[in-house]
Amino acid sequence: MSENVGRGAQRHPPGPSQVGPIVSADLLRKRAAIAVLQASFRKQNMILVGLLFLTAAVAPALPFVEDWMATQASLVIIYILAAQGVSILTGQTGLVTVGHGGFLAIGAYTSALLAKYFAVDLSVGLVSGGIAAGLIGCVLGLVFLRLAGAFMAIGTLGFAFFVGTIVNNVPIFEGRDGIQLPHSRMFGMRLGDFGFYYVSLATLGLTTIFVYTLLRSPVGRAFRALRDSEKAAESSGVNRLFYRTLAFTISAFLTGAAGVLNANITGYVSAETYGDIWYSVDFLVATVVGGSSALMGPFVGGAFIVMVPFYLEQLADFAFILKGVVLILVLQFAPAGVCDLIARPLREQRQKQLRRIQDDAEKSPPATLAAFISRGGQ
Amino acid sequence: MTHISCRGVTVKFGGIVACSELALSVEEGKIYGLIGPNGAGKTTLFNVLSRFQNCDSGSVYYRGQCIDRKRPHEMVRLGISRTFQNINLFSEQSTLDNILVGAHRLAGNPFANIFALPSVRKTQRALLSRAHDVAELLRLENHLDIPVRNLPYGHQKRVELARALASEPEVILLDEPVAGCNSQEVAELKDFVRMINRELGITVLLVEHDMSMVMEVCDYIYVINFGSNLAEGTPAEISRDPKVITAYLGEEE
Repeated sequence: MSENVGRGAQRHPPGPSQVGPIVSADLLRKRAAIAVLQASFRKQNMILVGLLFLTAAVAPALPFVEDWMATQASLVIIYILAAQGVSILTGQTGLVTVGHGGFLAIGAYTSALLAKYFAVDLSVGLVSGGIAAGLIGCVLGLVFLRLAGAFMAIGTLGFAFFVGTIVNNVPIFEGRDGIQLPHSRMFGMRLGDFGFYYVSLATLGLTTIFVYTLLRSPVGRAFRALRDSEKAAESSGVNRLFYRTLAFTISAFLTGAAGVLNANITGYVSAETYGDIWYSVDFLVATVVGGSSALMGPFVGGAFIVMVPFYLEQLADFAFILKGVVLILVLQFAPAGVCDLIARPLREQRQKQLRRIQDDAEKSPPATLAAFISRGGQ
Repeated sequence: MTHISCRGVTVKFGGIVACSELALSVEEGKIYGLIGPNGAGKTTLFNVLSRFQNCDSGSVYYRGQCIDRKRPHEMVRLGISRTFQNINLFSEQSTLDNILVGAHRLAGNPFANIFALPSVRKTQRALLSRAHDVAELLRLENHLDIPVRNLPYGHQKRVELARALASEPEVILLDEPVAGCNSQEVAELKDFVRMINRELGITVLLVEHDMSMVMEVCDYIYVINFGSNLAEGTPAEISRDPKVITAYLGEEE
């Protein structure tokens, strides 16, 4: 038994403990083959998402497209953006939030006030709305440091009510009368419905790249580690305070940016809409329906939340009931979200491919890599 | 050189004294065992050493430096890493991801990582090959893409060991590494622990109930009972010590 352990292992000089080059030829070769395959998977993913965005970008040129569709599509994008924020906190870091409507409101009001009093450009509005929400998110993350599970949900719900009360009662936010925004301008240009659609799409493109990079990085791994076991994460050197607060900040930033777009699409913000918790609930539902841990989850969920009431307008309140029914069905039959359900066959097929490579690698070592190893792996 | 040591460690949970005036000292490059009957305070002492538990009095030292005020996540940066008694893994995530989290301290600046700046690309690659190295060392290379909850128990124990190893520690604290394992898994883990120590030069301190493991693997053993130091010495000395035999088997009538 013991002579088998660490086959190919080289004895290390005493001193600083480093695992170092302990791998044998076939292992290294297998590793390289797997890396190639995984890179090709990543490329496929990127092409898929790229095609999605490309389709969205050329869609306005299609003959049957009408103006109202641009606004409707922008609304979908806004929900996707907000759901991306929620999924970072709830799906990745495991902190259930029922208060992201509060961050949406902060973004929306920041943009509205800046536009009303300083006539700022939408580009500036987007960044400052995101930053304002991010800062509040950072503070909230610190305040809620010890909350978890249902307590976190209640805490964030309290935050949404708190924001609602503020916008209802503090004079500058003009309560239920609301604030009228001047017509949105991006880099000085007046935005029409399609202009606004492209601004939203571009914003979503940027945030999607950002979220993708984040989730693949050690930071994303630290988030997921905290979600699955705080103890194990901390014993691995993950600073709980830092990463929780960071997750809150990033999450709030994204939803805040969505709030800026939401204020500009209607040109009006008031306590009537932002003082309510319906946004918060909708975002959470979007995240759960789409799948909270997948990158594409918010896309499915955002579209779902916006399009279901749209198609069921005649049914009035029945749309709410249907939403509830679908939510229950999703939780029952696809607890990891609709997106996961769609992606599962693809993932299983890829896993099979990986497995095949691993098995092949064990059978036949090619000469080239053996030569590579004999040169000392350089 | 003394790696990790503690003096006068006392921990009380309400009226119960879990540890009282405990002391031990771990020298570089050896395998230490910490044993004692159930409820002797072994795990509490372990938690004190890894800073998951504050002590009411006493101090913990690492390389002569007092680490009483360190927080758990800072221990890895000092070079101390640990495993848990009941497996504590990121069970939904793959083996590779579990090991990569273990290598977290080598990841570099988080803000550079979020944006995948050029400055961290090399680090990220190094991290990945480090994780593969560790996986292959513990013969997990064929299970890298499998969520750890789907792995057999013995493999999960190995993943936890791999996660602890991935941070390039100088000292590794193993809380019951073979608890619940079958005899073949115990044999494997014994070899792995020896290898970690002999080949990688990592100091090991382990809590264990499996006496064959403790007696065969450890160079030096501390025995505690009712929260106090009972005995210490080499495995041969410990197995002859009448105090230890009494503690485990009870007094002769």
